[in-house]
Amino acid sequence: MNTTLPKITAKIFEYLQKGLLISSNSMDEEVRKMYFAIEEHYEDMYEYFSQINYCLERGNEYFHFSRTEPKATLEQKVTKAYYWIDVLDFFKTYDEAFGVGTRFRQEAILMEVGINVVLQNKVDGMKKHFSGKEMRREILQSMLERLKRESFIELENPDTNTYKVMTAWNYLEQLVASIQITEETEDEKPE
Amino acid sequence: MYVELDERFLDFFELLLEANEDINTATIDENIRQLHEQMDYFQKENVAARRKNYLRSVKSIFRKIAKVTVRNVITLQQNIDNTFKNEPNYQIKIAKLESLDRKRLDIQRLIHHMETLLTGGEALFFSQAMDDELADILLMLRSELQISSHHLIKAQQDIINYLNQIRTQVVLVEKIRKVKYLRDQLELRAKSNFAEVLKADHSVMLEGAIQPLFKLSLDYLASDAARDVLLKVSGQQKNGIRTRRNEAEAFSDDELVQQMVDDVFVNLDEVMAHFLASGDELFPFLLHYSFHHEVGLDERLTLFCQIASLYEPKLDIREEYGRYLHYEYAKIYPL
Repeated sequence: MNTTLPKITAKIFEYLQKGLLISSNSMDEEVRKMYFAIEEHYEDMYEYFSQINYCLERGNEYFHFSRTEPKATLEQKVTKAYYWIDVLDFFKTYDEAFGVGTRFRQEAILMEVGINVVLQNKVDGMKKHFSGKEMRREILQSMLERLKRESFIELENPDTNTYKVMTAWNYLEQLVASIQITEETEDEKPE
Repeated sequence: MYVELDERFLDFFELLLEANEDINTATIDENIRQLHEQMDYFQKENVAARRKNYLRSVKSIFRKIAKVTVRNVITLQQNIDNTFKNEPNYQIKIAKLESLDRKRLDIQRLIHHMETLLTGGEALFFSQAMDDELADILLMLRSELQISSHHLIKAQQDIINYLNQIRTQVVLVEKIRKVKYLRDQLELRAKSNFAEVLKADHSVMLEGAIQPLFKLSLDYLASDAARDVLLKVSGQQKNGIRTRRNEAEAFSDDELVQQMVDDVFVNLDEVMAHFLASGDELFPFLLHYSFHHEVGLDERLTLFCQIASLYEPKLDIREEYGRYLHYEYAKIYPL
């Protein structure tokens, strides 16, 4: 067993074990420190965490944990993945170029929602994920807060409500990209 | 108000201020053509003074080519970056980057042309015309061309990189739309490998985090170090009780207004007791019984039936019948 793991390893474990992702473009200095610590000691940490049944996964500019023994049922995962598909679809409808590094203001999205019927429908469609929220503003707010909590975006400037998309977003895109649709449905035209 | 300069003045100012963002490879082409002409004239001319003039314009063209090439390369790089960052439409973005790539090839071709010219294409001219100034200019030109070549390689890499990124993005947007469409049609699981993808993914964020609970060791709890922890837990428990209090809202004025509800209630036990004491027949007794409030004939009939069924064991129900108005009733006496 390698004993030269950095001190920050405990923090990394705490952070990843909550189901969060460590992004290289985080604005939180602590997170960036963790990212570079993993970069430097990836092999050792991988080995270290694998002994307690966690697999330290390296994504495109982000790290996260996955379990060697599954703890959730397929249905639970489907529910979560459905939510992420809705989120991705919403932001890609708002801006086709939306992705890692994008900066956006909550008000700007809200304004676009106000004039774009398609986007309005999408927000209304998000209601099912946030029970109790009726107003579009509230739904959007809850969605952003949840994404922030899940470490996919960070609040860059609280004064202007400007968010920045973390490299962890790559995980969501990768997840959808890995879905292979069977051939006969390829011709069907989405709305 | 919007003032527009005449096209010719605009061209002039842009050229003068080097503010034009277009990449004009034609200018270099033209310069190279002039260069060849001037060199040709120089070699054919015998009068020294005129040769000098031709040489001077050759030098000036060399300087110009160096300047224009460098500027073109810088502008090219700027345009590439700008197009990638600011053009919102993917189709146009791809087309613009492809067009910039063609410009890059043009510039490369011109640099290549200049390099062959310098390294032997016009050897005769150089051997005749070489002086210190020309040597300086050529040295400068060579180094500028070299730097430009290097920049062009970077520009090429950027273009390839950007185009790839955009194509991946376009594919991704398409994919997200299709997946979302199937998800809304509730067909995603049937028509894709969605289930397999999720089965293979054991990420903690997908499965959800489970907070591990640890019991504190008894040895630790018995030690002094645990005092703070115990106090904290004890404090939390007290808080918990206090905050559980559920208060209802204050009564509104409406709710405070007294509401009267009249409920007609006949004490059957009392009536029965009186009946037993009277020794009368039940029907006429009820007909004339004075209640605490007004009781109609229908209600008195109901009471007759109620008493007959409820207190049957205490009553002597006979096989004789009496008649009142159109009602026929059994004669009932107290036992």
